[in-house]
Amino acid sequence: MKLAEEEYKALEAIVGAEYITREPVILDTYNQVWGNVFFFDEKHSVRPAAVLLPANTAEISEVIKVCNKYGILFKPFSSGFEYLSLSLANTRGILLDLKRMNRILEIDAKNMRAVVEPYVSVYRLQLEAARHGLYTGRIGVGYSAGVIAAECCHHGCQHTMVFTSGYGRNTLGVEWVLPTGEILNMGSGESGGDLFSADGPGFSLRGILRGRTGANGGHGVVTKASVKLYPWYGPPQWEQTRKPGEPPSFGQLERVPDGYRVFVPSFKDLDATLEVSEELCRAEILYAFGIGIIGTAQMQEGNDEEWAMIQQMMQKGNQSFDPASGISVANSVVCVIGGRSAGELEYKEKCLRVITGKYGGSFSEQFNEPGALARAFADIIWSNGVNLRATGDFLPSSSSPDGSPAMLKKLALEEAEVKRRYEESGAFLSMGGGRMVSWRPEEHLSIGAQGISTAQYDPYDPASLAAAREFIDKLFDPRSPFNRYGVPSRGGCLQIEPVTHIHQNWGRLYDNYDVYLRKIKKMLDPNTVADWTAFIPPEYPDYAKDGDYVLPSYGKEEEI
Amino acid sequence: MAYQDYTHDMQRCTRCSYCKWIPYRYIKNTDFMEGCPSVARYLWHAYSASGKFNMAYSLLKDRIEIDETFLDVLYHCHMDGSCDVSCKVQQDLEPLQLMQELRIKCVEEGQLLPVHMLVIEGLRKEDNMMQSPKADRGKWAEGLDVKDLARESAEVVYHAGCRYSYDEELQPIARAGMQILRNTGVDIGIMGVDEACCGGRAYELGYAGELTKYAEHQLETLRTAGVKVLVTPCADCYAAFKVLYDKIGKKPEIEIFHITQYIHRLIEEGKISFTKEIPLTVTYHDPCHLGRLGEPWIHWQGKETRAMGPMIIHDPPKKFRRGTNGVYETPREILKAIPGLRLVEMYRIREYAWCCGAGGGVIDAHPDFAVWTGNERLKEARAVGAEAIVSACGWCKRNFLDAAAASGDNMEVYDIIELVQKAL
Repeated sequence: MKLAEEEYKALEAIVGAEYITREPVILDTYNQVWGNVFFFDEKHSVRPAAVLLPANTAEISEVIKVCNKYGILFKPFSSGFEYLSLSLANTRGILLDLKRMNRILEIDAKNMRAVVEPYVSVYRLQLEAARHGLYTGRIGVGYSAGVIAAECCHHGCQHTMVFTSGYGRNTLGVEWVLPTGEILNMGSGESGGDLFSADGPGFSLRGILRGRTGANGGHGVVTKASVKLYPWYGPPQWEQTRKPGEPPSFGQLERVPDGYRVFVPSFKDLDATLEVSEELCRAEILYAFGIGIIGTAQMQEGNDEEWAMIQQMMQKGNQSFDPASGISVANSVVCVIGGRSAGELEYKEKCLRVITGKYGGSFSEQFNEPGALARAFADIIWSNGVNLRATGDFLPSSSSPDGSPAMLKKLALEEAEVKRRYEESGAFLSMGGGRMVSWRPEEHLSIGAQGISTAQYDPYDPASLAAAREFIDKLFDPRSPFNRYGVPSRGGCLQIEPVTHIHQNWGRLYDNYDVYLRKIKKMLDPNTVADWTAFIPPEYPDYAKDGDYVLPSYGKEEEI
Repeated sequence: MAYQDYTHDMQRCTRCSYCKWIPYRYIKNTDFMEGCPSVARYLWHAYSASGKFNMAYSLLKDRIEIDETFLDVLYHCHMDGSCDVSCKVQQDLEPLQLMQELRIKCVEEGQLLPVHMLVIEGLRKEDNMMQSPKADRGKWAEGLDVKDLARESAEVVYHAGCRYSYDEELQPIARAGMQILRNTGVDIGIMGVDEACCGGRAYELGYAGELTKYAEHQLETLRTAGVKVLVTPCADCYAAFKVLYDKIGKKPEIEIFHITQYIHRLIEEGKISFTKEIPLTVTYHDPCHLGRLGEPWIHWQGKETRAMGPMIIHDPPKKFRRGTNGVYETPREILKAIPGLRLVEMYRIREYAWCCGAGGGVIDAHPDFAVWTGNERLKEARAVGAEAIVSACGWCKRNFLDAAAASGDNMEVYDIIELVQKAL
C-alpha cells in the first residue's frame, strides 16, 4: 500500500526530495537479503512504501512524528546485511537508511571510548581506534557491521567477548529517538554533557534499550552512541599483503603482530574441546577465542578452488577432516592472548599451556605454522567477512541461552548431533561427518555463549530448504528435547516474529518475560509505528503456537 | 548470455555490501575506503552492484519495469569493475557481467539514453565515439612521416583510439607514443584515416552489435595489413582488443600490447634508457581497462553441480576473473626506472583502484558525476603527497583534467607517455 500524497510530502519536507524515494526500482533493492527465502519463501520480503536517507537526529525525530501522525510503520538500519534489518510488517512501512550518518564523532583515548553515528562500521572504528592503541570487538556478522547495531540494537556474539565484553555492556551514553519522536539522552547526555556515562544523571535504560538480543529497530533509532574501547596491543597500522599474481582474497598479515600470540590447540574430541574451553575462558588470560571455525587455512579464490584443495587434502590423508584424528578443525580452538609486555605475554602463555596440557591438547604444525596463526588472528580479530559462498546461505541455530557452562556444553553437543544427521543426508554442508560447533563464549562464560551449529544449506534446493526449516523447528520447539535448556536466543538471525514465534512459545515457560517485553513495547511505542517484526509484536497475531514453522502472511495480500 | 542467465547470481547476492568498499583487508585510510563511485555519490542501495542484482531479479519477477529510474541508476555507473573485484573476494558471482547484460537488454528494447544515442549515431556515421568527422581521424599524426598501413606494410600497427585521435589536448601524447616506438627502430605504422573505433565503449553502453561489427572490421583490417602486433596507448582499446573480442569469439590472431607493455619490453631489451631526471613525486592511477578489466577473458562451458552436500561447484571447475591478471606492475616499473621520479602509491590501487570517472558512458551522459569521481581521485593523490597523477589512458587524463579544472585543483596530470618522452 502506497503512502498518500500528503503523507509522502510530509516526509519529503523533512529530508528533502533528494533523500526520499518511492520509486519501485529503488524500493525493491531494500527487501532482498540473504535468508529471506527461509522466512518468506522468496527473496523479496515486503516492499517498503518509501525509503529515506535522513541526515541527522532532528530529521529522524521529525520523520517519526509524521509516522505517528499518519500511522506509518518505520524501521531504521545501517548496513542492512540481515533480513531482520529490512523486514516490515506491512507495506505502509518506511525504511530509514542511515548511510548519511557516518561520522566518528570522537575517540576519547584517555577514557577509552568512542562516540559514533549509526553508519560507522566495526572495521572502520577498529582502524581508527588502533591509532590510539585501542580496539572495539568484532561481531560475528563481519567487518561491515555497524558499531551501533552491534552494541545497541542487535544480537551477535563476538569472539573477542572474553576480553571486550559485548552487548549492552559496552554501551555508554546514547542518543535515542523514541518511537514517539522524542529524543532521549541516556546517562550523562541528559544533563547536556557528553555521553561518557550510561548511568546518570539521566536514566540508564541499557537493559530496555537492547537487553540481550536487541530490539532491531523495534523501539526507535539510536542516532549516536558512546561505546567502550579496549586496549590494542598491535601496531597503529597494518598491512595485509600477497604475492604477485595472487588473488585479492590471499592478502594476509606477514605474521601475528607483536603484542599478541596465537595458539591453536587440538583435542581428542568435541567433549574435551568444550571442557577445556570453559577453563581457558575462565582463566581470564584470553583476548579472543573461538571453537570450530578457526580461520587458519588460506581462504581460496572460490568454491571450485576450495573443493580442489579439500580433495587434495583428503587424498593426502589430511587429518583435519577426520574428527577421530584428534587434530580436526572441529576439535580445535583458536586462542589469542595479548599484552603490553613480554612478561605479561609469557605469563599468559604459560597459563594457556598448563590448561591445554591438562586436557591433552596438541599443537599441530598445520594449524600452528606462522602463516596459519596470522590468518587465524586476522579472522578472529577483524573477521574475514561472512562467507555465504559455499551453499548460498547458512543458519546459525543460535542456541545461546544464558546458563551454566555444563548446560551449554550439553546443549551444544546434542545440537551438533542433530545437525550432523542433516549433514549426513546431504541437506547441509558436511565437513567430514563429525559433530562440530562454533562456540563463542560470552564474557568469560559467566553469562553464556553463542553456540552456533552453523548449518550451511541451499535455500534454492527444496530438500535443503525443507531440512533447514525442520532443523530450526526441532531446536525452537519448546516440546523438543531442547526445551529444558532455555530460550533460544534468536541471536543473529532467527528473530522474525511471528514466523518463528519465539516469544509466543517460550515466554510462558520463562516467567512470562514476553509479557513485560510487550509492555515495554507498548509503553515506548503507543501507536505501534516502530516495526516489530524483528522484536516483539504488541499483540500476538493469531498463529499456531506449536513451534512449527509458519510462513508469514503479512504484506503478501497487498499489491506491489 | 542474457541477463536471465545470471539468475543464480541475483538469487545469491546476500546484500553483504562488500561491493561498496574496497576489499576490507586492503583498507589503509578510512577516508579512502569506498570502492564504488556510484553508490558513494548517490547513496541509494540500487546504485551498488548488489542493487543491480536486486533490480535484475525484480525485473525477472515482473515486479518492476525498465523505466526512467531504472535507466538512471543503471547508467550512473562507470562499469569500472571495482564492485566485481570486491564481491569476488567473498563470492562466486558476476556483478559486472550482469550489469553489462542489463545494458544490452535496455538497448535491445529501445530503452536508450538520448546522449548515448547521439554518440552511437556518430559512431555509426563516422566510426568514432567523439562525434567528429572520420576524415580527421589521422590528423594527430600529420607531419610525423609515419607509415600508412593502408598503402604500406609494417610489423606493428599503432592504434591511437578515438580519444587520442580527436582530443586536441591529447593528440601530442599519441604523437609522442608513436615517436618513442619509432625512434627505437620498431617497424610501425598507422591506419590513418582508416583507423576505426574498437567498439569497446559502445559495448559498455549496451550496444553489443557495435562491438561485433567493429571487431569483425578490425580483424579484417589487421589481416589485410598483415601486421603481427597491435600497440595502443588507450586502455579502453586495449581491453576491447585483448578481452572483449575474445569474449565474443573474435580473438585477434596477432599480439595485443598496451603501449606501457611494449615500452617495458624495449627497456628490458636495452632499446630504451632514460637519461634525463624528472624531479617529481608522482602517483600512478591504474586505468580500469588496463588493470582489472584488462584481465584476459576466461572461457568456460559446463554445469553447476554440488559437493559435500549442497556446496555449489562447477564441472569442469570454473575460473572466475577476479582482476588478478590485469596489467599493474609494468607501468610502475617504467615509472620507477625514470631518474629522479619518486613514485608514491595511493590507498586504492591495482585491482581495487578507484575509477577516474570517465568510464561506462558517464563522461557523455553524466559529466557532473564524471567530474565528481575524478576529483575524489585527485584528493587521494594529494593525500599521499603526490605532485602529479599519472595514468596510462587518454580517457583518464581527459577526465582528470576536467575534474581539476572544475574544482580548481592544480594537481599536475600526466599520461605516462609524456613522462617517458621527457626522460629520454
